[in-house]
Amino acid sequence: MFNDSDCLRILEQAMSTTADFAEIFQEVTESKSVSLLNGQVIRASTGFDSGTGIRLLAGTNSVYVYSSDNDIEVLLKLAKEAAAAIKGNDKGKIEALKDLCSTSKTTIEIDPMSVSKKDYVDFLRKSSDYALNYDPLITQAACGIAATTRTARIINSRGVNAEDTTKRIRLSIETIATKDNEKQSGRVAPGTMRGYEFINEYPVIEKTKDCCDTAIRMVNAGYAPSAKMPVILGNGFGGVIFHEACGHALEATSVGIKNSYFTDMLDEQIASPIVSARDNAVIDGEWGSYATDDEGNTSSDLLLIENGILKNYLVDELGGRRMNCKPTGCSRRQNYSYAPTSRMSNTYICNGESDVKDIIANTEYGLYCTQMGGGSVDTSTGDFNFAVNEAFMVRDGKIAEPVRGATLIGKGQEILKNIDMVGNDLKLSAGMCGSVSGGVPVTVGQPTIRVSSILVGGRES
Amino acid sequence: MDIKSAEIFMEKLVKAGTEYGFEECEASFVTESSMSIDILKGEVSSYENSATSALSFRGLKNGQMGYCSTNIIDDSSIDYLLRSAMENCEVLNDEDPQFIYCDEDNKDLYFSQITDAYAKNTYKSFSETGLKLEKAILALDDRIDAVDFLTISCSTGPYLIINSKGLHSYRDSDGISIMASARATDSDGSVKSGGHYWIGKDIDDFDLDKFLVKFKENLIGKMGAKSCAPGTYKTVFRSEAFHQFFTVFFGNFFATTMQRGLSLLADKEGEKIASDALTVREIPMYDKALTKIPFDDEGVLTTEKAIIDKGVFATALYDLKSANKAGRASTGNGFRGGSSVSEMPTNLIVEAGEKTFEGLLEEVGEGILLTDLSGLHAGVNPISGDFSLLCEGYLIENGKKGRPVEQITVAGNFYDVIKSVKSVGNDIINVPSGEGEFFTPSVYVGSLAISGDDEE
Repeated sequence: MFNDSDCLRILEQAMSTTADFAEIFQEVTESKSVSLLNGQVIRASTGFDSGTGIRLLAGTNSVYVYSSDNDIEVLLKLAKEAAAAIKGNDKGKIEALKDLCSTSKTTIEIDPMSVSKKDYVDFLRKSSDYALNYDPLITQAACGIAATTRTARIINSRGVNAEDTTKRIRLSIETIATKDNEKQSGRVAPGTMRGYEFINEYPVIEKTKDCCDTAIRMVNAGYAPSAKMPVILGNGFGGVIFHEACGHALEATSVGIKNSYFTDMLDEQIASPIVSARDNAVIDGEWGSYATDDEGNTSSDLLLIENGILKNYLVDELGGRRMNCKPTGCSRRQNYSYAPTSRMSNTYICNGESDVKDIIANTEYGLYCTQMGGGSVDTSTGDFNFAVNEAFMVRDGKIAEPVRGATLIGKGQEILKNIDMVGNDLKLSAGMCGSVSGGVPVTVGQPTIRVSSILVGGRES
Repeated sequence: MDIKSAEIFMEKLVKAGTEYGFEECEASFVTESSMSIDILKGEVSSYENSATSALSFRGLKNGQMGYCSTNIIDDSSIDYLLRSAMENCEVLNDEDPQFIYCDEDNKDLYFSQITDAYAKNTYKSFSETGLKLEKAILALDDRIDAVDFLTISCSTGPYLIINSKGLHSYRDSDGISIMASARATDSDGSVKSGGHYWIGKDIDDFDLDKFLVKFKENLIGKMGAKSCAPGTYKTVFRSEAFHQFFTVFFGNFFATTMQRGLSLLADKEGEKIASDALTVREIPMYDKALTKIPFDDEGVLTTEKAIIDKGVFATALYDLKSANKAGRASTGNGFRGGSSVSEMPTNLIVEAGEKTFEGLLEEVGEGILLTDLSGLHAGVNPISGDFSLLCEGYLIENGKKGRPVEQITVAGNFYDVIKSVKSVGNDIINVPSGEGEFFTPSVYVGSLAISGDDEE
């Protein structure tokens, strides 16, 4: 990492023309991973990545330059190019650098980087061996552990001098059941900012069994129907719909340029009155948490929706300039090769009052999605789509046969208003979110909820 | 880091690797320089410039291949690279052997395709083109509210590979891309978004008028779109949609996927798997492609071949490891992705048929034309071939393009679709894909299930 005088030289070079703000982001990331397929260790890798990004702002005009070469002369040259490209009116000021503020949301007993790959392999074998001996229908078992340590230093012309370290580890288990020409999978992929103790404590056999059961159930299932119907979305990863259909439309990335259906709607009713939601980056040890964002701001617990009323947007520095409001500590990037922007962290619908059994009992006919796949949304139109990995029909208030191949589609702004029951079993689930500033670890979450009507795209009419 | 310094370092690293105890070892170096601008509301809102490099080392010990990568490329990294790769070898127990390769007749290849035109890619030329384009898009129709996204970027990517068997080969590539999307509001207040892209090697080849015609079709053509009645529709995939559809399942044509029991195409080479109307070739040095690829990331020469030949599965794609397992030669499709090598296609070409796009619609008579598929990373089961995807397009009425449709899903099975292809058009487009590009016309694929809501 740079010393303060090198940083100052870069800032001075960057601010030598008409930028009103300059920022240096330097990052060092180490990674380590192991993957098993059908009991064989097929991949073991180690990587080291580091680089520096320099960002200049002049009003809402931005310039970003980056290099994997951290040599001071290389960066001074890039800063000079950036300064020549920025289009502002006046020369900005550089404030005195504050004392370094080092933070971390990682809560670690055993550092995953200090655990040998052999120990990773021994743990993964438990899952692999169990799955391959579970049932003749289970034909493949894949699993892996990936750990990273990332240290980011952020320095800017307002005197910010921050350093944040995150250590993350993620386990993945996937089992595949085969029947005739049909293959279906069951998977879990928990992630955490806790240490290797998370892996040691993980109920790996129980979870591998769940994966096998899902795969077997789905390979035996018939196709989902095609129709509009009430849909119950299970807790945990069911929150991916809220993440895609609402969360992205609350980011300054789209609101700031008025390319979101939630633009200019603060304090308006955007969801059913039984819906409240938060984006909370400060939960200790949670996969999507961080202490300091990639602009050097302290992370926050932000109330997004309260009883259906929109209370806050997710705002970064550049978005704040466009929206005339302050950043909320949510600016993130995959690494130095991306300029930062507003992103989610741990985003979830808060607990409601219904018991899950009542939600099911109150549904005469519908689809109960217990495991969601991924999805996407167009924040300008609200069009979203989600794949369902495991689902059951609900008939006469009871869970009926499993069905496969369902996709849920609709408009994000409509689905939020159609949530008519919210459960009390909130759960968070780890994932990766891809957007303009790259892939960042997030959690999605919700209690079990019911939406009165969603178009289910299946194959049976 | 420049190529010359990287080369000196790599030679030293490979020598040190052999001395460290690897039976064979290899170093590869990739460096990318890129520049891009974004246009928003009549000005250059963002400018990016970058130079990144990464070095990857792999070494063989007892039949296991250990990898390690870094972008700190100096003598202090040699110990880290060798030690980490050796540690990785020690935990691996892959039953299938891997190889470091060198073909004595083709061990010192040099292939540069960066042209003088690359020097025209400047902040000035990009901003002029971008500002002109934004203005022209806004002038296309009164209903267009804003150009939300307009980016012009260029990059070069040299690649060097050196190994202990004597391989020492270099290739590079360059390219420019222009992407734009805009938003328009209909008289009923509903919002539509749409856009277009261009790829090329010379900014002077960008044809604004041609771009605008397609841009208008992709945005204004959607105005008034609504869902349609559910049912089974004769379906045409427009070129862009067929590319999206075919490539999402293309991993099933990789030998490794088959050998792992994750592709239903395993053991089907030589068998009929698709309609007579479908031929798909891989032409690594295709003259119409922007990027030509003479050798893969393992140093194996790439070769021209049919993958599907009039419906027959002619060959899978192999890298050195999967080829050895199958007892045959690599097809030159071993490319690096992350920390390992696996199969990837270079330039893929779906062979054109005789009918024009309009001719395909005439053949269909009544049906649906799909122009864009969404949620491809989630709405498909790549193994079984099942898919259920949000899509948009147009009804086909009386053999012509009818009203636009949205908020529908198309569902079916990949293997059924390729068997039921009726006709292939001649309206070929090219899209960046895999290591190269994908060239495809529009394709009439028979009947598929459409979910919609005709009350909307």
